[in-house]
Amino acid sequence: MTRPRAIEAGLAGPGRQADDPTVNVDATTAGSIECLDLEHAILGQAPDGEGSGQTRTRLAIGPARRMMDGTVVREVVVDGWRFEVQLDDARRISLRRRASRAASTVGHVRRLEVRSDLPGRIVRVAVAPGDTIVAGQELLVIEAMKMHNEVRATGPGRVVQVGVAPGDTVELGDLLVLLD
Amino acid sequence: MIRSGRPFRRVLIANRGEIALRIIRACQDLRVESVAVYSDADRGAAHVRAADSSVHLGPAAPAESYLRGDRIVAAALDSGAEAIHPGYGFLSERASFAQQVEAAGLAWVGPRSETIAAIGDKLAARRLADSIGVPIVPGTLEPVSIGPAAGADRRAAVLDAAAAVGYPLMVKAAAGGGGRGMRRVDGPAALEAALADGSAEAGAAFGDGSVYLEREIRPARHIEVQLLGDQAGRVVALGERDCSIQRRHQKLVEEAPAAGLSSAQRGSLHELAVRLASAAGLSNAATAEFLLDETGRFWFLEVNARLQVEHGVTELVSGIDIVTEQLWLASGAALSAAVLAAAERAGAPAGHAIEVRISQEDPARGFSPTSGRVGRFRQASGPGVRVDTAIEPGDQVPPDYDPLLAKLMVHAADRPAAIDRLRRALDETEIGGVQTTLPFHRFVARSPAFAAVQLSTDFVADHWAGPASQASRADALGQALLGAGLAEAVSASPPAAGHPPARGRMTSGRPSPWRAARLGDQPDDPSQDRPWGRPR
Repeated sequence: MTRPRAIEAGLAGPGRQADDPTVNVDATTAGSIECLDLEHAILGQAPDGEGSGQTRTRLAIGPARRMMDGTVVREVVVDGWRFEVQLDDARRISLRRRASRAASTVGHVRRLEVRSDLPGRIVRVAVAPGDTIVAGQELLVIEAMKMHNEVRATGPGRVVQVGVAPGDTVELGDLLVLLD
Repeated sequence: MIRSGRPFRRVLIANRGEIALRIIRACQDLRVESVAVYSDADRGAAHVRAADSSVHLGPAAPAESYLRGDRIVAAALDSGAEAIHPGYGFLSERASFAQQVEAAGLAWVGPRSETIAAIGDKLAARRLADSIGVPIVPGTLEPVSIGPAAGADRRAAVLDAAAAVGYPLMVKAAAGGGGRGMRRVDGPAALEAALADGSAEAGAAFGDGSVYLEREIRPARHIEVQLLGDQAGRVVALGERDCSIQRRHQKLVEEAPAAGLSSAQRGSLHELAVRLASAAGLSNAATAEFLLDETGRFWFLEVNARLQVEHGVTELVSGIDIVTEQLWLASGAALSAAVLAAAERAGAPAGHAIEVRISQEDPARGFSPTSGRVGRFRQASGPGVRVDTAIEPGDQVPPDYDPLLAKLMVHAADRPAAIDRLRRALDETEIGGVQTTLPFHRFVARSPAFAAVQLSTDFVADHWAGPASQASRADALGQALLGAGLAEAVSASPPAAGHPPARGRMTSGRPSPWRAARLGDQPDDPSQDRPWGRPR
């Protein structure tokens, strides 16, 4: 079995709020993934220093799923915490790095997808296509568990498309608004 | 008395999920035929397959299926059932439904409808307790309101009543449950708004906007007594449970017996509960809930006139199958010799049991419900372990239903051994596909505060900080992958940022693989493959 050469794990973005742990792992694997045969495999315990018998780390790795863009995603459950990890090959990683470098040097603004962070129902949509928005501006409100959750813009931009209307139910990860 | 035969020939179970399966198992143990009911979302569900027959009720929404009392009674009559067991939740505490069942000539497996009606009104229950010397949480015995047209006199009278109760206080719904209609009030300035809000919320949830005032007892432990009673009016306490570890007034961890009580305390608690239940004319199974304050005093909170979610821990330490007892009691049988003997022992229980509720909730995000399809599902087993669940791999719990996936119970000779067993059983439990409360329970099983019986209803706020930090959680993943041989090196450096940090509930548009992965989940399910928010 050929092992992937490296995994990058880290925060999904600098300065994410400590109380917003929705996305905090960004793992990419360099190297071959084809020979990993982990379908429903339980890989047992990862080492965690002193074996007190009390603090073992439990790790379960789910089957690989191939996404439409060709990447492979696996579910990894560590001590009950659930992650989805994208396994990518080295060539794609270097391409993506180049693209992101190019984007920052040229100043090209990529389209920004605002996705739902929680399942719920849309209560209010405060923006429409064409609107110019400022950082912190309310985009829409999602009701979940009888609480209203405001979705705000992280930065200035322009609304390209709004994918939901009041009354719609949304699932985690649904695309809500596309910003430019 | 030796019981012979069976309590009923056929029983309909008006519920779903793990509790329906639990009751069907009791029926099978007694050679009673079981009739399941189900909604569109539960076609082929475990409880439907386990039952001897089943009746379809309607669409997934509870109001169109599991809350349709008329259809359920009709299903029972059509299928030849002699009794209806309501389980917990849904129609279990709806007196009008119990009355419908009784009127149809069927046996109701629970306290009589008029008892449910009387005790379900929390103010009536408080008045009853007060009248027989059971200490109630200090507060009002009548509804409190300041109407929009209220004059200065009315306002002053309510403020006086509140001052007499003492701040901070709680506004609570008379018809309440699940924390709805409940508001905490720190001082007089906030009282009027809290009364209006609480009343509006209670009115929307229960169709009754009556609210009352209760002093906030804090810190406090939540301790409840399991009661069984026969139709001749004899009531016994089977023992108590500590259910202090809660979030949003919903229990997460329950144990029996309550640790650290003296035998005198335990005896007096059981006596209070039995006195109250006898006065209320309670029969079948019910639970009396109390708060235990720092000085060791018990204060009556409310009675739940039904089977509780956490009845299993009492079964483990008492040796009594509460559900089969319920069926016998509903058939008119007297309390059995085994129950009476167990009640005798309840003051000095042997052994200790702990239950954790494994729910489809994210403990890193305030225990908010998560969605998705359960993937891998491996249950703990072995000595001293009981798992009550109806979940199977591939199941998707509709958002309308309780997010409870499984109740993991452990039983051992004493509390430290039970905690060790809980840790072991949690290590054996694997659930994929959805985020669950497992990390929180793993934390509890290793918590020095839990081991030291530092229990209060503030346990979650006081001790649970969520994943220690973003970095440590990511690091744990990296280390785990390393240890598993999936990687030879892990770089824990944050990836180059493409966009400013996300704020609040905003999801960064940065193409995070984690996020992207969530979108294409379950490629075999076309309904998941949707670029935009799903329309209603």
